[in-house]
Amino acid sequence: MKRQFVTLSIRAGALLGLLIVPLQGCTNLDETPLSVITPGTFFRNEAEVSAALAGVYAQLRSTAPEGTIYDANEVSTDEIVVPIRGKDWIDNGQWIDLHNQTWTPNSAAASNFFNGAWNNAYTGVARANLFISSVEPVTVPNKATYLAEGRALRAFYYYILMDFFGGVPIVTDPTDHALHPRNTRRELFDFIEGELIAARDSGLPATWDAANNGRFTKGAADAILANMYLNAGVFTKDVAGASGINATGYNTCLGVTVRGGDACAAAIARADSILNSGHYALADSFPQIFRADNANSRENIFVVKFINKDGLGMGIDMAALHYCQYSGVTPWNGFATLAQTFNAFDPADKRRQTILVGPQRDVITGQLVTVRVASACPAYTPANALVFTVTIDTITKASEGEGPRLYKWPADPAHVQQNSGNDYAWFRLGEIYLIKAEALNEQTPGSGAALTLLNNLRARPGDPVNTPLAGPITRAMILSERLFELFGESKRRQDLIRFGQYTGRTDAASGIVGGKVGRPDYYVLMPIPQAQVNANPQLAQNPGY
Amino acid sequence: MRFMRHSASALAFLCLYAIPLTAQNTGTVKGQVVDSSTKQTLAGVTVQIQGTARSTLTGPDGNYSLADVPAGSVVVRATRIGFAPRQQIVTVSAGSTAEAPFEMSPQASLLEAIVVTGYGTQRREAITGSVSSVDASAANVGVKTNVDQMLQGRAAGVQVIQNNGEPGAGAQILIRGGSSISAHNDPLYVVDGVPINNVPTEPDGNGWTGNPSLARNPLNLLNPGDIASITVLKDAAATAIYGSRSSNGVILIETKRGQASGGPSFEYDGYVSTSSPSRHLDLLTGSEYAAFVRTQVAAGKLDSARLGDLGVLWKTGPNPGDTVRTIYNTNWESALTRSSITHNHNLAFSGGSEDTHYRASLNYANEQGVTLSSGLERIQGRLSATHADLDNRLRIGLNVTSSRVNNTYLTYENQGGFEGGVFENVASFNPTRPVTYTDSIGTHYYEVGGLTTRNPVALANQIVNIGQTTRTLGNAEAELDLVHGLTAKINVGLDHSTGARQEYYPKANPLGRALGNGLAQQQSLDNATQTLQTLLTYDGQVGAGNSLNVVGGYEYSKFSTNLLVALGKDFFTDAFGFNGLSAAVTRIDSSDAKKSRLASFFGRANIGFNDRYFFTGVLRYDGSSRFALGHKWALFPALSGSWNLKQEGFMQGGPFSELRLRAGWGLQGNPGVDPYTSLITLKPGSDATYPWGDAPQSGVIGNSNGNTDLKWEQTSQLDGAVDFGLWNNRISGSIEYYHKNTKDLLLVVNVSQPALATTQLKNVGRLSGHGLELSLDAVPVSRPGLTWRAGLVFSADRSKVTDLGCTTDSLNVKNCPFYDSGPISGPGQSNTPAERVMVCDSAGSCPGYALGTFYGPVFLDIDPTGQQIFFCTAATTGCVNGKTTVRGGPAAKDYRVIGNANPDFTVGFRSQVTWNRFDVSLLIHAAVGQDVFNNTSLVFASRNQAAGGSNFLRPALTDPTAPNDPAIYSSRWIESASFVRLQNITITYDLNVPWLLRSARSARVYVSADNLVLLTGYSGLDPEVFSGTGLAVRGIDYLVYPHPRTITGGLRLNF
Repeated sequence: MKRQFVTLSIRAGALLGLLIVPLQGCTNLDETPLSVITPGTFFRNEAEVSAALAGVYAQLRSTAPEGTIYDANEVSTDEIVVPIRGKDWIDNGQWIDLHNQTWTPNSAAASNFFNGAWNNAYTGVARANLFISSVEPVTVPNKATYLAEGRALRAFYYYILMDFFGGVPIVTDPTDHALHPRNTRRELFDFIEGELIAARDSGLPATWDAANNGRFTKGAADAILANMYLNAGVFTKDVAGASGINATGYNTCLGVTVRGGDACAAAIARADSILNSGHYALADSFPQIFRADNANSRENIFVVKFINKDGLGMGIDMAALHYCQYSGVTPWNGFATLAQTFNAFDPADKRRQTILVGPQRDVITGQLVTVRVASACPAYTPANALVFTVTIDTITKASEGEGPRLYKWPADPAHVQQNSGNDYAWFRLGEIYLIKAEALNEQTPGSGAALTLLNNLRARPGDPVNTPLAGPITRAMILSERLFELFGESKRRQDLIRFGQYTGRTDAASGIVGGKVGRPDYYVLMPIPQAQVNANPQLAQNPGY
Repeated sequence: MRFMRHSASALAFLCLYAIPLTAQNTGTVKGQVVDSSTKQTLAGVTVQIQGTARSTLTGPDGNYSLADVPAGSVVVRATRIGFAPRQQIVTVSAGSTAEAPFEMSPQASLLEAIVVTGYGTQRREAITGSVSSVDASAANVGVKTNVDQMLQGRAAGVQVIQNNGEPGAGAQILIRGGSSISAHNDPLYVVDGVPINNVPTEPDGNGWTGNPSLARNPLNLLNPGDIASITVLKDAAATAIYGSRSSNGVILIETKRGQASGGPSFEYDGYVSTSSPSRHLDLLTGSEYAAFVRTQVAAGKLDSARLGDLGVLWKTGPNPGDTVRTIYNTNWESALTRSSITHNHNLAFSGGSEDTHYRASLNYANEQGVTLSSGLERIQGRLSATHADLDNRLRIGLNVTSSRVNNTYLTYENQGGFEGGVFENVASFNPTRPVTYTDSIGTHYYEVGGLTTRNPVALANQIVNIGQTTRTLGNAEAELDLVHGLTAKINVGLDHSTGARQEYYPKANPLGRALGNGLAQQQSLDNATQTLQTLLTYDGQVGAGNSLNVVGGYEYSKFSTNLLVALGKDFFTDAFGFNGLSAAVTRIDSSDAKKSRLASFFGRANIGFNDRYFFTGVLRYDGSSRFALGHKWALFPALSGSWNLKQEGFMQGGPFSELRLRAGWGLQGNPGVDPYTSLITLKPGSDATYPWGDAPQSGVIGNSNGNTDLKWEQTSQLDGAVDFGLWNNRISGSIEYYHKNTKDLLLVVNVSQPALATTQLKNVGRLSGHGLELSLDAVPVSRPGLTWRAGLVFSADRSKVTDLGCTTDSLNVKNCPFYDSGPISGPGQSNTPAERVMVCDSAGSCPGYALGTFYGPVFLDIDPTGQQIFFCTAATTGCVNGKTTVRGGPAAKDYRVIGNANPDFTVGFRSQVTWNRFDVSLLIHAAVGQDVFNNTSLVFASRNQAAGGSNFLRPALTDPTAPNDPAIYSSRWIESASFVRLQNITITYDLNVPWLLRSARSARVYVSADNLVLLTGYSGLDPEVFSGTGLAVRGIDYLVYPHPRTITGGLRLNF
């Protein structure tokens, strides 16, 4: 009996012990992530710093074709329209809303494209902020260059925000999560200008070796500055109307004071800095600038790099090409060009060949192709040939073959699915010619030097058929030349706003609107997307919306 | 003949095994059984000598006689469905006959005296919270693959929506409507006391043509045949003991254990069933389609080239004109679906001595899906043993369940499906084309050569998509009575699963080619949960009628998950399938790992006074690693009480045999947050990679903003109820009303920029709901040879989102953010939401709507030119007299609330009629007042589709819309989807075969039908739909896996 009691006591004691032991130390609930890391455990050496910088660069992809920034820049102008084709491309009405400029802070275009643009650009800012503040305290080789690249990239992301929305909050501290009101556009302009100058003078190299091709250079900073100075008449103003942005007339850089003096002079100075650097040259022929091997083009100044690998390639072909036109992948047959825009080109201008019209071939095999039947591509017969028309009857009920197509960046012969290796240039030498010419023409209307620049641009060694323009040069000629040269390169919206023609655009008859778009002046600034106002009630909406 | 011989010898063997050796010293027990209220004799009552295999049934006169009963004191037990069991002790003398008459009283429900609640059991009358019990054996009829299916229509306030008709498909369980927007709404499952981490155990398939099909049910590991009881804890008073994981309710599952009484027993339960799709898409046949095209071409409405799309053109000779056109008549839906066979076998044996009990079971189930290439096979074993020592003061127990589930998946898309997935092609593939054809090379699948139109049968048969999960669930417990009434308990649980997924998209298939010349993917997912519980329980009586029950404890859980993904593209041969990834030109691998912990302290006290007043207080203090520092711990209290009126003097006599009032309040939590969400984190990957030169430079990017304020989502719930029993519990039931408020709703919201990610998980907003539940059990008929038992559950839930972080701007205008949800599938529908969370009008008034509120253009009519007319307000472009025909739909500000996916109420009705040896039971499930967005119709029932050269739904033939009018989401596609479904009907026959009953205690055969009748006005495949992705999406129907209708034949033997 006693023995049993002892046994019982031992067993009970053991059990109580089991009950109590786990209570020790089992209340520690700290977290240590496994397949992700926290910033505190990173940025310890050059390899980690350089990896973090790659992440800041990676956000550039969102500014290139197939991103909301590109869509907002192109589809809101007369360069690109995305018609409803059968049951395809309604997409909540977002494309028509964008093209016809019927957006409101909450409409389909705003909640997709503008909100996307806002988020994409600001994400780039946030990555750069974290990068800069994390690298500043560490000691690594080439630190000055890394920091300069971070600052220049951040300035570029802010440049996109300034271009679309006007003044937005300037935040440079990654730990600052306060809700900030908007800075003025002028403050933002000055901030970007200062950052670019500082980056250029504090560490950006003039060129990179082949292994680092695509990284930020002094020339890239100069190009963005030249563009900002040319647009200074717009970029320094917060509202449209009297003493603000002129929505119906030209906004000149002349008389706008920037850090380098008068903005027109500053634009010319920046352009000259590039032209005289010896690092850039016009490509021999126009198509060469856009091909898959264009990484080597000496015309590139600031590009978004693409290579033909999964998730790292360019896929603009998908948006424009017909479903049956790209062996191995199925494009989406969406983006088309307006007839008036296509017709504005001189048929003899080789640059028009970047737009597809007429009977179509497979861009890879060269075989003639057909319109779809039941979502399939039947064998070719002349009767069912795919023909891209010049005109679109009604953008809300277009057929598969209607509308010319942008095909400036041809498919990479070594493409991996839709990933092509063509780099996308935000700034290339051709535009620098145009910037300088336009600024010269502002200083001296009808400037002969400006005309020479334009004609030099038209006479690429590989494209001698382009007949020289006859003087005297006018603003209208410059705008046209910018269209011919930079068609599809995200410049048209900015140009039309500078020239006072964005909101008063006249489309050929095309569905809902047809004729003059005729939107109020305040449409030269995008609305702050409602989702952003909700997230930060301090953000005042752009006047008018 | 040979079969007969084998069967006979097998039976002979079983008989030898089962018949106990007859003792020499035996006597006889006999008696008559009568109904206590009517005094009429009762037939079909099982009378058993406890602890032996001796049992019999009463005859038509209510008499029974049991011979060969061992002499001495024996316990005789009488049981019959619909009556409370009775037992008595009888002394049997050798060679003589003892009398044991019984009077049995009918009872509406099998109210077990002891109910499993959180961390212990309670006497039913002491329970003060809202608890529903489901009779596991009654619910386990027909083809039941998992425990979720057993709950449907059987518990008030529990809504079970099967994701689709796939074998082992997951389900959405909403207890009292759910309480969360973005955090999950699944209840907490507790198996044998151990909370289960109910996360997918098999890696997701890849949605190459749209979103992947939804994961199968993680609870497929449990064999429904092993489940002894299911208890649903609904209100805060009952669930708060589970604290942070309780806000969506708790489902307690107890598995069967061995019992010494009745001696060793051996059970076999098996069935075979056949299933076929219960409803079909109304598509054109091949000949109808050919006629349509010819008519349209003749009328000049279609291009004559379209005639060339009909059938197949065969070359019959060398010259260009030597051709013949064959027009096939392929029903793609029939070609893809089949009558499938399912069989399921359970074997179990149990027994033990006075101190040691055991039960072991084995299950084999093989369920074919009603489409090609889909099915589930399960092999599962379970062992349960209990042992009592130290004069029954120490009790130890062990439960181990291990299962292997082999899943075969049809690679279909749950949403999206742009690229031509299986069900899209069933709907659109030209029916004049054949499934296969034979030419000089051999027999091939017919493919049109286009990239997005693919033969659905070829997709099903050529793509390999399989998965295997091995899951082991075990717990060991030890319980020691320290002093009288005080018990200490420790329970250690382990839940470990390894799930593998293998997919191969061959080059031979156009999808495989489009994905990169053959694509293979292997994934492995490892989940482990370790749980430790220590409990102290005090159970005592303080004087007559006063009781005290106190539980206190500590619980600690560790969760870990590991995912490994290996993907290869571009193969020079299909011969390797997914097994030779090194043959791929391109390889992409990735991995993911997460760990988290949960620590808790809890206590519950239940006090009873005078058997009349009962009070329960609960406190739980939960800490989770997943929340931000300083917010990791939270307290969840609950208080409830009940008053047993029946004990009061004034209630004596009268019809009430039971009457109780209950009320309770409590706080519940929802930890639906992934690990590391509160931290700023950096991740690698292709998004973080950028080329410098031609070389990709791997990098990192911030993928989470973190949230240093992240804390629990909390629901407070108030519950009031009346439990009643009438006429000796011939009718019993409960009426409950609840009101609940969720605050600090976890929601992914847009975050002020600049930010590393555009969104952040935050605690914003409120949701409130209330509802009424009624459950009723009755024995309307109880006569000799005939008993009718019926049960009814009714629930109505109203919940709405009342706030999502509304702000007031500088002009004092209230601004409420909203969230668009319910992405619409189909071409041209990108970025088109069907639902909105938080609808406010232009005046800033936000009355609050339920989750699953459809929001969009209001469809009015179709004009003579075939344009759709929508409602509009005067200020909008193109608006005339409140009508607009603007293509693409009216302006966003003219969108309105156009439907609600939640039912007004749901009803479950079950009935069981026992007539002599026959037993007919049925379960009817109905939902009234719900709307479904028929996304399938939006895409496939329009003229637009017909003009495009694809097949379409028959309504498109008479659709007045112009062919070039785009398919626009509007109220036109919102359908009322009320339904009544005969969920199950089962007819059981109790075999009274003398030679069989000599050895078997019972032998029953049954036939059962699932989903036999569906009454609904809904035009789609099934009104019960679940669309998996998106924020709180409910009620969107797009080309789901068909729901089957199943006929089952089964046999239950108990030796």
